[in-house]
Order: sequence, then C-alpha cells, then structure tokens
Amino acid sequence: MELMNENKKMQQLIGSTLRIGVMTACCIAVLGGAYYLICHGSEPVPDYYKFHGEPSSLTSLSGIFGGLLHLKAANWIQLGVLVLMLTPITRILLSLFDFAHQRDWLYVTITMIVFLVILSNSLGGIL
Amino acid sequence: MTVLTFTIILICSAFLAGLLGSLTGLGGGVVVIPVLTLCFNIDFHYAIGAALVASIATSSGSASAYVKEGITNIRLGMFLEIATTIGAVGGAIIALWMPTNIIAVIFGLVLILTSAMQMRRKVDHTNVVGSELARKLKLYGTYPTKDGEKKYELTNVGGGFSVMLGAGVLSGLLGIGSGALKVLAMDAAMKVPFKVSTTTSNFMIGVTAVASAVVYIQRGYIAPGIAFPIMIGVLGGSLFGARLLKRLDVTVLRKIFVFAILLVAINMIYNGIMGKF
Repeated sequence: MELMNENKKMQQLIGSTLRIGVMTACCIAVLGGAYYLICHGSEPVPDYYKFHGEPSSLTSLSGIFGGLLHLKAANWIQLGVLVLMLTPITRILLSLFDFAHQRDWLYVTITMIVFLVILSNSLGGIL
Repeated sequence: MTVLTFTIILICSAFLAGLLGSLTGLGGGVVVIPVLTLCFNIDFHYAIGAALVASIATSSGSASAYVKEGITNIRLGMFLEIATTIGAVGGAIIALWMPTNIIAVIFGLVLILTSAMQMRRKVDHTNVVGSELARKLKLYGTYPTKDGEKKYELTNVGGGFSVMLGAGVLSGLLGIGSGALKVLAMDAAMKVPFKVSTTTSNFMIGVTAVASAVVYIQRGYIAPGIAFPIMIGVLGGSLFGARLLKRLDVTVLRKIFVFAILLVAINMIYNGIMGKF
C-alpha cells in the first residue's frame, strides 16, 4: 500500500511538471512574441522560402542567453523553446530520482541511458 | 506581407492544425508540416523545426492529464524510450544527407499509415499471457476502468522494441511524434491494452522529439518567427479539441478529417516526386 501511495505521488508530480513546463514555455513565447511583433511587426516577412539556417545567436546556448541581456525579441522566443525542450528532460530526471528512491536499479540504469543519449546528442549536435 | 499579418495567419492555421490533430488523434506535429510547406510555401527544414516544437508542446500538455490518472505505463515508456531516442538520433543524422523531396515522400507515406491506423477497429486483447522478459523488466501494469483497476500482461518485448527503433528514426527524420507506429508497436506487437498504448505513446513523444530537437535547434532549423505562432496556436487548438472531444461525438467529423489527411498525403507524395521541395 505504501508503494501504491508513493507511485500516485510520483504520477502527480510528473503530471504537474509537464503541465507547468509547457505553460511556462508558452507564457515566455507569448511575451517574447508580442515584443517581437512590436519590434518587427511592420517589416516584410523574412525569407523562409529557402533554408538559410538561423544565425549562431539563436542556435547555441551562449548565443541565446547573450541576446537575452540585450533584450533581443527573437532570443526571448528561443528561451521559450528551450524551456519547452527542458520539460521532458526534467521529467526524465524526476523519474531517475524516483527509481533511485525505490531502489529499482534496473530502471535507474534504463533512465540513465535515455538521459545520456539525449545529453550526448545535444553536445554532439554541433558536428 | 508584413510580419504582423504573417504571424496572425500562422497562429490561426496552427490553431486549426492543433484542433485537427487532437480530434483525429494524429498529434500536433503531423498537421503542421503540410500546412507550412503546402499552404505557406515555407522551406521543409523550417517546417520540421516547427513540427518538433508542436510535437513537444502537445505531447507534454496532454500526457500530463493521463499520467495523473494513472493510465500511462511509465516503466514501459521509459524502457521503450531507449529505442526511440537512439532511433531519433539516427533519423536526425540521415536527414543531413537525404534530399528534402525524398523526406516529403516518406512523410506522405507515414501520413497514409497514420490515417489507416485511425480507421482500424480498436479491440482490446484479452487474457494475454505475458512473456518472461516482460515480467523481469516489470512491464506488467494496471489501469483504471469503469469496474476498477484492471491488471494486464504483455509479450514480444523484442518485436516492440524494434518497431520503436523505426518509430524513433521517423521522428528524427520528420520532426513528428510518429504516434501511429508507437501504438502499433505496443498494441499490435506487445499486446498492451489500447488505452495504455495510446497514452504511453503520447507520453514518449515529448522525449523522442527532444532527442532530435537538440540537434535541429543547433543546425538552425528552429526559426523564432515561426516557432512562437506555432507553439501558441497548436497548443490552443489541441486544448480546445480536447474539450470538444469530451462534449460531442466526433466519429463523423473524424472520418472526414482522416479522408482530408489522405488527400494531403497524396499531395505531399506527388509534390515530392515532382521535386517541388
């Protein structure tokens, strides 16, 4: 019964994390987006019809965070995207702690593998 | 066209895409790609970036409720995420050298598979005898039904795992959740109850999409000017869709939409073969 309650608590926590993460990301995107429209709303649409790739100020962590301080609207939107991406990752870490707490080492290993795949991918993604 | 008008039209289209995705059960990302490429003529790369954002947002948003209700099998999802994330990494690498027109054709084929899966009759497996491996991995679970908690067992872990690898590759390549393949792996191969399959698939989509999103954002696929209208619109549309689903019977509506999706799929394949992307 104890374990059942623990499981229920974890389900609630994971559920809330997902909801709060998505809502935070969406709020940042709304604010950043509104600010983006104030700055660039009357300009013509950028050339999305051919792929150029976004500049490095919008594709790397240092670039994105650097632009936040200079109040660049596009960077604030990217922050929203980053928070959105962190939501499932946070969920993985929560599960990791939960499995460790239950002393379920098999699932600690499984969760760790998933986390490492994502981590190595984000480090190696620049290649 | 100014950025302002572009953004407003994009938010409205994304809202419809999210609504369509949630009413048909196809997911947010799938509808975003044809809308951006066919209606707006936006480059396929940017469309993939936007679809990833949409997939993560809708998956995490709706998974939240199912996890709380205890329908999602978290262990099963976690275990299969090994396959989908590794697959997604592979897919993102393949996308580097594969021509966009071929990616468009593959996308059309996945769309057809997805629609076909929606038409299928949903019958739950009864008296499944679970395999030894599934028991060792603690994949058996329970889920709430009208008559209280119901226990289930599952089988063919290897088969399900391989199909998940494929689902991961497609997610990485196309930026979509490929929920249909995930459900196929759990429902058809592993004999997991349908409700558990769909909710666990939804739960896994966020993590799978993130595994490739970390690559795509660094390659410059995610344009802020497209990402924010898509995120807001798709999320709003799918929340509205979830409300509608509770209130009215959408069987007929769903059939019309699935038919519309089939037409879109044919259009994508045709344009891909003609080299329009």
